[in-house]
Amino acid sequence: MAESFPQAPRHVELKALALLALVVLLVAGFALYVLYSRGAFEETQQLYLMADNSEGVSVGADLTFSGFPVGRVQRIELAQNGQARIVIDVPQKDTRWLRSTTVFTLERGLVGSARLRAFTGNLDDPPLPDGAVRPVLRGDTTDEMPALIASLKRVLDNLDRMTGRDSDLNTSLAAMRTMAERLGGRYGALTALLGSEEEAKKVVAAIDRANTLLGSLDELSKKAGHTLDQADARVFGAGGVVDETQKAVAQLNAALADARDTLKKADAVLAEAQKTAANTSAATEDLGALRAQIEASLRKLSALIDEVNRKWPFQRDTGVNLP
Amino acid sequence: MRPMPQQPYSLTRGLAGLGGALIEEPASWLRVLRFAAVALVIAASPSAWDRTMRRATAEQIHFSAWQPLPGFALVVSLLGYVLIRIVESTAHAYGLSQYALGLSTRVLLLELIPLLAALFVALRSGAAISTEVALRHIRGDFETLVRAGQDPLRHDLVPRAIGAVVAVLALAWLSSALALVIAYVALYGFSPWALDGFVRITGQVFGPVAMAGYALKTLLFGAAVASIPITAALGVPRQTEMAPIAVLRGMVRLGIALAVIEGGFLAVLYA
Repeated sequence: MAESFPQAPRHVELKALALLALVVLLVAGFALYVLYSRGAFEETQQLYLMADNSEGVSVGADLTFSGFPVGRVQRIELAQNGQARIVIDVPQKDTRWLRSTTVFTLERGLVGSARLRAFTGNLDDPPLPDGAVRPVLRGDTTDEMPALIASLKRVLDNLDRMTGRDSDLNTSLAAMRTMAERLGGRYGALTALLGSEEEAKKVVAAIDRANTLLGSLDELSKKAGHTLDQADARVFGAGGVVDETQKAVAQLNAALADARDTLKKADAVLAEAQKTAANTSAATEDLGALRAQIEASLRKLSALIDEVNRKWPFQRDTGVNLP
Repeated sequence: MRPMPQQPYSLTRGLAGLGGALIEEPASWLRVLRFAAVALVIAASPSAWDRTMRRATAEQIHFSAWQPLPGFALVVSLLGYVLIRIVESTAHAYGLSQYALGLSTRVLLLELIPLLAALFVALRSGAAISTEVALRHIRGDFETLVRAGQDPLRHDLVPRAIGAVVAVLALAWLSSALALVIAYVALYGFSPWALDGFVRITGQVFGPVAMAGYALKTLLFGAAVASIPITAALGVPRQTEMAPIAVLRGMVRLGIALAVIEGGFLAVLYA
């Protein structure tokens, strides 16, 4: 060996041991790192996702929520019912994002592997229990392609029928064209609505007559208003019917008072007459005077009633007016 | 070096040489396996580790692994940084930035660095070991050692093989760890906020199968680098002019072995 290394390096064994120790430490540290990065030290709960097809899903793939990984595919197996069962480990610290109402989707795009996503609408819902089994909704672009093409073909067929010569759409467009032409005619929308210019002409004439009628009604209403003003002045104005009526009522009260006094006197006279029945001759002069007073009072009353009737607005003209 | 004697070419001799090579090649590979097995047994035998063997092994580890480690780490860091930047910018251009880390980690750590480490040790130590062993074999030094009561296999050849294996493992694993740090810095700078995603993605890359394959591949690389040059050196005729032929055969066989190992692992892991 002295031939290979005539000048042996110093502390060669120590350096070799240090290098070996460094390699061993590195291997141990890297093993711990890999275990940690693969979630070996996390407390997890299991979630089983049932899918029709697990193609594209690989062990170690992420389950994401809002773009953040909250779980990792632990195992993929075929269930008894023929579906693919994807076993997912969800760390305990991330279980709060998964609720009993959470929806899980499996999306396979044109680029990249399949993506498992979780959508939680309400974070206040009950938490997802350990070992929960949930279906996976598919969001596969390539698998949807045949159905999409079939739908597109139906749409194109419909479009073809719609754009045919005798299609409803063309008929409707022709009708719309006719309507547009009528709209652009002399009577515009009226022609379009009524179908011909003659009918529209009748409507216009009717409107003109209605306008004339409305003018007449306007003048009539003005006159009626003027009349009402005059009647109001006559009835409720100063010196009107109401005032005169109040005065007449006052005069009537006074006349009634006179009549009451007169009747009292008559009553007294009658009493006197009863007392003096025996001596009628003596009382004849008193009766004559009394009669004259009564007649005077009655005439006053009659005159007063005539006055009231004359001043009342709806009086009857009983007299004969000579020309 | 004495010039090779010029002999006229003949079809018969050429065919005979080809047939001899075809017969000889399987035998040489069998010698490689035998030497690897013997070296493994000796290395695993505690009684074999006397002071001379420990000293020789330490010297070989120092020569093959300790001395080139800083330079190799620097080269791998620069190469890794450039490669990761290329992958990241390309992935970004195609809108696939999320795959840049996984792609560069797989390519650089799992595939390129072990192969680079094996080639580096093979070119630096393997060629030197092959040349020295071939010259000593031609001179008959090993027989002299045997007559002197020493065990050349235990005190000379196996320490060299152990040194080569340790060198491949140390260079590959230490450089891979360094490349992991370089990858983080190249992709995210010195921000600590991408650490969670980085750990998660690298955890996905370093699955159990990938890690087992990585460890087995580096071990096989080390075994090939340790065994093939020595076996090729011991297999040449005892003529001085055959020493370069021994190195040439050793390097060619080593290249073939490394390619077969790498291709086999690629086929198993990704096919």
